[in-house]
Amino acid sequence: MKINFSLNGKGTELDVDPMSLALDVIRGLSLTGTKEGCGVGVCGACTIMVNGAPVSSCICLVGTLVDKDVWTIEGLAEKMPELIDSFVENEGMQCGICTPGQIVAAASIDSAGVSTSEEIRKYMAGNLCRCTGYQTIVSAVEDHLAVN
Amino acid sequence: MSERRIDAVAKATGAAKYTADVVLEGTTFAAVKRSDLPSALIEEIDISPAKEVDGVLGVFTAKDLPGGANLYGRRVFDVPILADGRVRRVGDPIAAVVATSREIAEAAAELIEVTYKELTTVATAREAIQPDSPLIHDRPWEYAGAVVTPDSGRNIQSVDSHGSREAAESALRNAVHVIDETYFTPGDHQGYIEPQACIADYHADGSLNVWNTNKSPYRLRDVLSSVFGLDPKKVEIMPTVLGGDFGGKGSPGDAPLCTALSILVGRPVKMVLRYSDDLLSTDGRHSSEIRVRLGIDASGKLVGGIAEALLDGGAYAGFKPVNTVNLHGIVDAAIAYRIPEFFVESKIVYTNNQPKGHMRAPGSPQAAFAFESALDELGRRSGIGPIKIRELNLLSDGDVNPYGSVWLEYRGKEVLSLAMSQPKSVDVPEGWLHGEGVAIYARSMAAVPKTSLRLRRGENGKVIAEVPIPENGAGGQTVVREMIRTGLGISADKIEVNQVSTSLLPTDAGVGGSRVSLGVTVAVANAIKLWKEMPADQEVVEITTDEGSDGPSGAYSAQLARVAVDPMTGQLKVLELISAVDVAEIVNPKAHQMQIDGGAVMGFGFAVMEDLLEEGGQPWALSMGEFKLPNVADIPKLTTALLRGGKGVGPNNIKAVGELTNCPTGAAIANAVEDATGVRIRRLPIRAETIYWGMKEGSAK
Repeated sequence: MKINFSLNGKGTELDVDPMSLALDVIRGLSLTGTKEGCGVGVCGACTIMVNGAPVSSCICLVGTLVDKDVWTIEGLAEKMPELIDSFVENEGMQCGICTPGQIVAAASIDSAGVSTSEEIRKYMAGNLCRCTGYQTIVSAVEDHLAVN
Repeated sequence: MSERRIDAVAKATGAAKYTADVVLEGTTFAAVKRSDLPSALIEEIDISPAKEVDGVLGVFTAKDLPGGANLYGRRVFDVPILADGRVRRVGDPIAAVVATSREIAEAAAELIEVTYKELTTVATAREAIQPDSPLIHDRPWEYAGAVVTPDSGRNIQSVDSHGSREAAESALRNAVHVIDETYFTPGDHQGYIEPQACIADYHADGSLNVWNTNKSPYRLRDVLSSVFGLDPKKVEIMPTVLGGDFGGKGSPGDAPLCTALSILVGRPVKMVLRYSDDLLSTDGRHSSEIRVRLGIDASGKLVGGIAEALLDGGAYAGFKPVNTVNLHGIVDAAIAYRIPEFFVESKIVYTNNQPKGHMRAPGSPQAAFAFESALDELGRRSGIGPIKIRELNLLSDGDVNPYGSVWLEYRGKEVLSLAMSQPKSVDVPEGWLHGEGVAIYARSMAAVPKTSLRLRRGENGKVIAEVPIPENGAGGQTVVREMIRTGLGISADKIEVNQVSTSLLPTDAGVGGSRVSLGVTVAVANAIKLWKEMPADQEVVEITTDEGSDGPSGAYSAQLARVAVDPMTGQLKVLELISAVDVAEIVNPKAHQMQIDGGAVMGFGFAVMEDLLEEGGQPWALSMGEFKLPNVADIPKLTTALLRGGKGVGPNNIKAVGELTNCPTGAAIANAVEDATGVRIRRLPIRAETIYWGMKEGSAK
């Protein structure tokens, strides 16, 4: 079945089973920055942005993306280089497997009215990191929001 | 001032390639039919429904394995690639499907029917050592690498001990105050976010390329060549980026299975574990039951102690890499203290639970929970107090530790005092009970540089370092870059650090135990020295090192936990966790701090959240929905105080940090809970219900 949506700012038509997972379809397009972690919508490694909101692509059927505005880390890295810089300068990562998901979640904060450290922590609670202890990730998001 | 980490941009933009991201031409996909039962004989395997599925290239059981090779392990070869007539745990692989897609392989695997003859399940370590317990393995001493004998006792994987039991018993009889309590910790999982994954690509000429979520490429190469009788020179472990490790990625993972399947189908075979299968079928932290007895004289000085640990090793011993097939953190339980007579025994047994292996400071979180809780209890019950008893008994310069070793320095008293003196900033919720607790952890360290590397001239004045180690996140490759940058006085953008595949360098011992910062740096320093002396027309220096230097010495941490408990419900809030850490020089301050913070958060998870819920031979926490890891909103305020000026090891004069702050946290929080409520918790994780019933019944739990 043909489905149409905007992917990283470009109109995209795919011939796929609408019941496929968005995660698998996106990774199948060589956009492997979106990672498979827990597979049950808990860890956040597979986060994509759908109409401005963070969504776990591992529990999202690709058919639900029809006509939506979808962004992955690859597109956001080009669109929001200052956010990438903020994570790089703060070293908001160690192993890096959760990092794209953290950044996609952070990229969606602008529209959510989040600014204090506590609000950031609540907003980012859906993105697990096992390495860093979270401090550098929170700093990266704080820096990003302070600049914007 | 150091530069930002070498892998930051690739990781932040999603460009970094992990094992699951690698796509080979003609790749096939594997899925496994796993055992539903913890203990059973296999009477029949019906693979025919799976074979008929469109897109299935082959379905294989143990009898199909090439050359009859089946058993593998890190030291003891007792883990079957595919179950041969018997399953010993839920999740044992019984049959493997290879198909043109992952989904087809998984759907086909579900069609495989297994008929079992159920056997009695041995669900706990305590059951396993009873004289009438069923045997998990009939003749475990016959496995290659086994350390047990027919006289070792029932279901034993290994026993390690130190000291004289008789002398310690005698010292305890003469003590004025004695504590004698038993502490329990659950099975845990490393919780890396990247599930284990593997691609094996075997060629008709006998060569094999493997991409695997593995941090010890040279050991993996040796295991695979030994299992399949391959020439090690033709086994190529390819570079990869690891999405978290914490000990779990030292195991061969599914490389033996994928290699067998690639030999059988003649194409590359890829397998990426679903996370539920990762929780079910890899090798997490041993659950423990540790009885601790400690005795003091009238002045509060320790006169003797005995620690007896019984650990659940699960169905296989093959995931423990060290020669003792044990966990050094257990035997080292008393390493920070002066105890004239200390006996410790660590007994690891076979059960029908998941096999266990190494997880961040193997054995230490369990041992530190037991020992630092018992010491705290002794301090409180004797009236000496939990702080004073530590101050009286921590080792001082010139002392010999209970293992007969003299460290360059002992900084236990200093880290304790530093942790105690930090300002406290989080308010206690109104009406809640407040408590504070401390715990100390120390570990020995030495530079053990069994490794090799190469420096090569690149274009435009670049220096390219070729290293044998993957980046597991801790920042080892950045440490190498920083040494070259400062050693040669060139800018960071003129340096590349690349992991190369196993045939391109002679040897390495793998990442782990802070070995990169302490040991690999010895080789880097030697290579830089050679580079500086090298003639202008020379392009390359290569170095292999195998000699230790410095030490023995140690590194300390002390943690102070502040908790609040709701007196109505028992709900526990850890308000803040203050970590005082013993350091010498620091190569990369941000990475160093993340090792401290990440460790503290992992210790917090172990203390109050994580539990595989192993019961009746079945782990019940099989997704991250049930197996909860701390998120950013769960965690307490983290404060770090660095005790600078220590005497480090290696060319950078540094101390190990990666496994310091995850170990004392369980005891620090449990000690704080007693301070707040009077309830002594002797079982992790600490749950609100347990505190509630403890407060209601006025008893320990």
